[in-house]
Amino acid sequence: MIAILKKELRTYFTTITGYAFLGFFTLITGYFFISQNINSGYANYNDTLTGSLIMFLLLIPILTMRSFSEEARQKTDQLLYCSPIKITDIVLGKFLAAVILFMIGIVITAVFPCILNFYAANENMDVGLTVAGLIGYFLMGVCFISVGIFISVTTDNQLVAAASTFAVIFMLLMMDNIAQSAPTGSKASLIFTLAAVLAVSVYVYITTKNIAVGIVFALLGGLVISALFLIRPNIYDGAIASVLGWFSVLRRFENSYLGIINISDIVYYITFSSLFIYFTVNTIEKRRWA
Amino acid sequence: MIEVKNLTKKYGSFTAVDNISFTVGEGEILGFLGPNGAGKTTTMNMMTGFISSSSGSIKINGFDMLDDALNAKKQLGYMPDVPPLYGDMTVREYLEFVFDIKKVKKSDRQTMLQNICALTGITPMLTRLCSHLSKGYKQRVSLAQALVGMPDVLILDEPTSGLDPKQIIDIRNLIKRLGEHRTIIISSHILSEVSAVCDRVIIINEGKIAAMDTVENFSKDGSASKQIVSVKCGFEEAKDILSNWNAVDKVYLKNEEEGVSTLKVVAKEGKDIREIIFAAFAQREIPIIMLKDAENSLEEAFLNIIKGEYTPENKKPSEDEE
Repeated sequence: MIAILKKELRTYFTTITGYAFLGFFTLITGYFFISQNINSGYANYNDTLTGSLIMFLLLIPILTMRSFSEEARQKTDQLLYCSPIKITDIVLGKFLAAVILFMIGIVITAVFPCILNFYAANENMDVGLTVAGLIGYFLMGVCFISVGIFISVTTDNQLVAAASTFAVIFMLLMMDNIAQSAPTGSKASLIFTLAAVLAVSVYVYITTKNIAVGIVFALLGGLVISALFLIRPNIYDGAIASVLGWFSVLRRFENSYLGIINISDIVYYITFSSLFIYFTVNTIEKRRWA
Repeated sequence: MIEVKNLTKKYGSFTAVDNISFTVGEGEILGFLGPNGAGKTTTMNMMTGFISSSSGSIKINGFDMLDDALNAKKQLGYMPDVPPLYGDMTVREYLEFVFDIKKVKKSDRQTMLQNICALTGITPMLTRLCSHLSKGYKQRVSLAQALVGMPDVLILDEPTSGLDPKQIIDIRNLIKRLGEHRTIIISSHILSEVSAVCDRVIIINEGKIAAMDTVENFSKDGSASKQIVSVKCGFEEAKDILSNWNAVDKVYLKNEEEGVSTLKVVAKEGKDIREIIFAAFAQREIPIIMLKDAENSLEEAFLNIIKGEYTPENKKPSEDEE
């Protein structure tokens, strides 16, 4: 894993990727810092963080687009997968390299809150609040990186990886709005849940290559869900919104913004990232076993 | 050593590799021959653990590729058909990275690196970027990569493609030298290469083993018994002349142009018939333009197996004569 991590970090700095990422990261954060804090004379750095969340749309794809797709294009994946290293180590190495670069970005821009802390005249900066904000901000970035890494393993084209990562992060950022406009009726929720069960069944079928298992899974799931609907239809009220709401990475950030470090939020972020790392490992393994 | 048992690879309904079994011992060099798309690379990819098998087992030095993949991969060096190089690394950086992922002891690295570079002749290129190398050097760095850790088993997919004739000879000699104490599998579609380097040959066609034997056995019947001859007369006349001789078994027409026929003459019981051919045509005062050994038997076996796919190559020798 260390070997992969070292190699990835070196690649970030021998190509333009690392510099582009850090440059844009500092530039955009700096812009929000000027407009939110300096010009308005306001010492809450978390406003800068909230404002600059939008840059994840562009910067996370820069970090992750080449990670696996470039290996596939250069055929260097053969070298990696034929070496005595576990797939999990390869994925973790690449993931951690991106996380470290992201951390370097945060450390560089940490100069901004320091400036606030030293020079804010009227009101002092709340250090605890800022630290909570930075932790939330970091964890959210890590989630997006895991999504980006997963997407890059599905294609050997960097541009496709970048565009898909952009789209998925956009959806994740917009998830609150989508959830709000989702239909709230229990029948719509039933259909939504059934569709979800069907999708999971298809995934089960693809991974196990066993049509019987897939069908049994779909039938059982459909039966349970329909039975629940007949017995207690009220649990389906607003189900779509709450399910989609779970995916809202942004909602979790609200706590950090307010200076609250919530264990459940941290667990959420870690679960979310682990899930996508698992998907990445699984996709590589499956392709080798297909 | 390598043990492959009932190896099969299916892509949906298409069977790329169909129930292949063989073993390769220590100190043996095995050649994989076959036309494009025969399943050579798929088989090699399975043996190196890059892709999985649909069924069957692969054992490398006793470690199963399925159950104990990490240990099995430790025994292996693999040179894929496309050099797996990182364009943004120098050759030295690249090889150091390969040392890292193959977990070679730090203390062994310096000497091993020097050895490998000397063997493959890439020492002057160590500070160049991989993306700036010529095709031949990329190929050699790819071979160097397979040698990292000096594994017991080497699997080389078309190791000499893209090299110039001098380098081809160098690499062949290197493979022979490495093969003295190792197990090596090379794939190739160059027949002369396989017969020059390998001890044993497997011919693969349409995913199946079509033939498996030692190189000597493939060419046992003696090449002097099959001759290509160009004479200045019509085919029927030449055939009549030759059929008067008992030692001649069969006569085939290869080409007939501007009064010169090119024939393939096969002798009975593997006899040397060069003198007979000379005598036969000399009696009738028909000049022999050319007389040479027919293609070696490995090539013949190969062509018989994949019949119909190699006609353009068959024509080549007769075109050259004019």
